[in-house]
Amino acid sequence: MKPSIAILLTVLAAVTGTARAKLNVVATLADYAAIAREIGGDHVDITSMAKPTEDPHFVDARPSFVVKLRSADILIEGGAELEVGWLPPLLQNARNPKLDTGAIGRVQASEGIRLLDVPATLSRAAGDVHASGNPHFMVDPIIAKAVAAHIARAFSAADPANASTYTANNKKFEATIDAKLQEWGKALLPFRGQHLAAYHDDWLYFAHRFGFEVDVFLEPKPGVPPSPSHLAEVIGKIKAEKIKAILVEPYHNRKIATKVASSTGAHVVDAAQYPDGLPNTATYVELIDMLVTRLTTALKN
Amino acid sequence: MIPNRILAVFLTTILLPGHLLAESTATPSPSNEEIQQQLLGMQKALQDQQTRHQAELDALKKQIADQQTVIDSMKPASPDSPAQPPPTPSKAATPDLSPAFPTTDPSLVPEAKAVPPPGKQPPSAPATAGAAFPTTDPSIVTDGPASGPSAGLLPSPGLLGGGAAKGSYLNISFDAVIAGAASTDPNLSSLEVGDHDPQQRGFNARNVELALDGAVDPFFEGFANIVFKLDNNNQTQVEVEEAFGQTTDLPFGFQAKAGQFFTQFGRINPTHPHTWDFVDAPLVQGLLLGPDGLRGVGAQLAWVIPLPFYAQAILALQNGQGGTGYSFRNPGDTGTFFDRSTINRQTDGLSDLVITPRLEASVDLTSTQTLLGGVSAAFGPNDTGYTSSTQIYGADLFYKWKPSNAEGGWPYVKWQSEAMVRRFEAGQGLNNTFAIAETFHDWGAYSQVVWGFYKGWAAGLRGDYMHMQTSDVTNDPQRQSRSRVSTDLTWYLSEFSKFRLQYNYDRLQSNAFLPSRDENSLFLMYELALGAHGAHKF
Repeated sequence: MKPSIAILLTVLAAVTGTARAKLNVVATLADYAAIAREIGGDHVDITSMAKPTEDPHFVDARPSFVVKLRSADILIEGGAELEVGWLPPLLQNARNPKLDTGAIGRVQASEGIRLLDVPATLSRAAGDVHASGNPHFMVDPIIAKAVAAHIARAFSAADPANASTYTANNKKFEATIDAKLQEWGKALLPFRGQHLAAYHDDWLYFAHRFGFEVDVFLEPKPGVPPSPSHLAEVIGKIKAEKIKAILVEPYHNRKIATKVASSTGAHVVDAAQYPDGLPNTATYVELIDMLVTRLTTALKN
Repeated sequence: MIPNRILAVFLTTILLPGHLLAESTATPSPSNEEIQQQLLGMQKALQDQQTRHQAELDALKKQIADQQTVIDSMKPASPDSPAQPPPTPSKAATPDLSPAFPTTDPSLVPEAKAVPPPGKQPPSAPATAGAAFPTTDPSIVTDGPASGPSAGLLPSPGLLGGGAAKGSYLNISFDAVIAGAASTDPNLSSLEVGDHDPQQRGFNARNVELALDGAVDPFFEGFANIVFKLDNNNQTQVEVEEAFGQTTDLPFGFQAKAGQFFTQFGRINPTHPHTWDFVDAPLVQGLLLGPDGLRGVGAQLAWVIPLPFYAQAILALQNGQGGTGYSFRNPGDTGTFFDRSTINRQTDGLSDLVITPRLEASVDLTSTQTLLGGVSAAFGPNDTGYTSSTQIYGADLFYKWKPSNAEGGWPYVKWQSEAMVRRFEAGQGLNNTFAIAETFHDWGAYSQVVWGFYKGWAAGLRGDYMHMQTSDVTNDPQRQSRSRVSTDLTWYLSEFSKFRLQYNYDRLQSNAFLPSRDENSLFLMYELALGAHGAHKF
């Protein structure tokens, strides 16, 4: 009897021990989750709240997220108002001191990043603007590296035993991105300076990195659905600027983009900001690979 | 410097083939060898010079970049030079693509980002005793967005509660609901059961609210909801609808709150009218919990139960006095309730307060469907007798579907239902002046479906039923059994304003004192919200 109890205790200790050893990570969005996976490897359990195909501005504050946040060691969020409509009530209900602002467990990805398009004046007459700047910054691989380093630091602080692994994984991610940047830069080089159209104003970091101008938007103002008169104007601009590609994300109204494309000769490029938002793009690098491929294909025509 | 470099490259290019040629020549004459030696020497000198120049160039580039970073961080972006573009993220920053694609960008990711987070290690002391004590500490003062070029551009959104990302001491928001009403009933206040519902034909502004919230300190956050209501005589009435503090850091999933707050009973009661899916309150809400909703001064303890799914237990203790404790110690507007002259019952012990337990749980049926249900109860004395009491029981269920590629939250389907039962001991009133004591068993329910069918648009259908136990002696117009069907169409122009058109068909059943009647009403509502970006609870 006694040995069996000892075995049971050992097994229990092993099970709970490994369970405790794994960092519980909750990411608001799929891009943070994908990078956290690269850094954390087998040492972390990762949950992404927003689905990669859904509008990150409007995610339901489902009670099941409270359960996830309640037992989380780390929360990775953008911290630039993208999640302002749904994250606060979840945190209020989760009551997890580990995730308090300023705590080791609270990673605000935008921290230390200079955001673009900080509005000079704050007015909602301009639509759905974000006071601290455009929050769709993860499609810039250089920023992704900074966020990865930030995540690696947070993981190391919360789980010092595996700090060397997190640091090594971050180095690896950094090296991969550095190498990949050469590849992506070369592939997009012939199209530098070209103008692009997009459904929503969330490609400026990508454009800034690779030398595009994304300056025609199907939405008249961020978050405001396209109106016929605005679309007529958009069609005119696309023709005038000889724009060849319209970037559309999984949650946008593709029909509208298709209509604009057919009356201008431009191509609809099915793009996504989040890994797994497009097929076969489980990792960050795969996502940017896919974006670069799709964009070059559209622009070559 | 650059011409030198070009020259060097040029010469190397010319000389290199010669060098290769020389090496491959099989039998060199002594003079040839001499020339070759000279050439090799020259080439080496040139290569050295080139390397040196390159190093100098790199050092200068780095110096310029560093200076630019310093300039950027110092540049105040003053409002008197608004035409000046933000210095860092200019188009010119788009990298030069040859020879190597840049893999860093200090204009977006400042170098200071790479240093260890503050607090992990103390500010380092001078390395040697004689060195000056450091006057800067990049590990604490990061060159982040707060100190970057964007700082100072905005009109202090933090103080004005503009929803700044970096938070604010006080978030302020303002919400106004204006409703136009038409009805076959000349006296809309006898038909609409909620105090913030349209109460007269023509225009109504019965819910103009100011909401304040923020972190009090590391231990509490505070909320206040001040409602201004224009009554049917256009007199302004002010209600401190909610004003409470709640803990943020209690361990084990506990949360305590104290102050004036809505009782967590069912789904409609704890929410503010502008978050509802219809213009008016459901019948059970207004007739059992009260026109103002069940709320009051008190304290509450909530506990998220550690289970694999969401489950929360809530227990509130509130005074339950006056109109906001409608079915409890409520003296009534005219000193009568259910025809009894009311007794102003004092608080002699805990049993005189209203106790409200609630248990709620939620599961995700699929990744796109969520179910949330709860059971609530409220117990307390009432003012119609010296020992009379009230018990209300409720059950609620909420279902939501939203596809995984929703845009702006659309499309969606929400289905919400609540049922309530009230056991009300109606006593004999003040000094036992009313003829008899009765016990009413009243019950009712509503069920509503809202379909967000296109971005910005939602259609709703609601059925309401309220059964009031018949009484041969109590002649209160509120004790008429009734039913209602409502349908509405809402257009959200943005997150901050919406229009809603609603039609109500009401049927009131006859009782011992009142005849039956049918009424038709039409409402057109407009809502606007200013200030801090409100978050949406599930």
